[in-house]
Amino acid sequence: MTEADFDVEYVERDDRSARVLIRGLTPAFANGIRRAMIADVPTFSIDTVRFVENSSVMFDEMIGLRLGLVPLTTPLDEFEIGDTVTLALDVEGPATAYSGDIESAEAMVEPADENVPIVELKEGQRLEFEADAVLEAGKEHAKHQGGVSVGYRHLQRVSVEGDRGEFDDEEPRILRGVIETPEGEVVATDEFGNDLSERYPGKEVRVEDVPGAFVFHIETDGSFTVEELLLRAIDSIEERADELRTKVAV
Amino acid sequence: MELRVIEKTDTELRIEIAGEDHTFMNVLKGALLEADDVAAATYDMNPEQSGGQTEPVLTVKAESGDPLDAVEAAATSITDRTDALRDAVTAA
Repeated sequence: MTEADFDVEYVERDDRSARVLIRGLTPAFANGIRRAMIADVPTFSIDTVRFVENSSVMFDEMIGLRLGLVPLTTPLDEFEIGDTVTLALDVEGPATAYSGDIESAEAMVEPADENVPIVELKEGQRLEFEADAVLEAGKEHAKHQGGVSVGYRHLQRVSVEGDRGEFDDEEPRILRGVIETPEGEVVATDEFGNDLSERYPGKEVRVEDVPGAFVFHIETDGSFTVEELLLRAIDSIEERADELRTKVAV
Repeated sequence: MELRVIEKTDTELRIEIAGEDHTFMNVLKGALLEADDVAAATYDMNPEQSGGQTEPVLTVKAESGDPLDAVEAAATSITDRTDALRDAVTAA
């Protein structure tokens, strides 16, 4: 615990999704980070809608629900929990109102995707509203979750035990996640069709979990980057540990 | 985070840590259990609907020394780790 020695390696890396291998974690710590990424890192989401006109086929409440689910970009350095940003939309049919039609009063907070359909409008129908997006954490409402499908698996070490028996059938050995090869390489299993017999044909292989090595699969809704989400989750654990220390010390 | 000591002896501590959930409590418990001078550490949390004590209650039994010091040391070791991890993530 005292000698914290971490090793972080990106197996796959994109703005919105990544697989990150972290060595040196305890299971409790890994789970703390995972939970913090899901429930504790806040994002903006529309929370209040003031309808000016809604002559679409959907009730105000249905549109309100759909608006809440539109991911908004969230620069966390600029805002605090509870801050609001005003957005507006005005679309007249025949047309489909998309998230990209939403105008924001704050250039930093805007829909992360512009192709989320809100409602299809026919001739003569119109949707106009003003909405307030609020910065909150995922534990308040799932629409504020920045991380989607965040999880982890153990890194799996594959060792070649020898050759398969001459008359043995070649059976598939399905494995998902990320493996560490005997050469020390880190390889995602989809590179060889998730089948170890494809990568090591005719070999007898053994698979075991590597202790303390976790492969996180992190995907964000576009509110921020994967790295931002991971760092903010670590921050949130640290803030609480700091708070506990100061309060206990008194 | 609101702390409320429920019971405290020389080697034992029961403390309510209001406002926290499994995310932090389990990390804290893990850190406590790794310390040499901690004999036992656990936390108890009841679901929202149970109607009773729903805030987590941490119980620490120290082998030697004050259990409050053990909690403080555990908090420090968590921040040491988050610091190191943040550096490692930024560097990767």
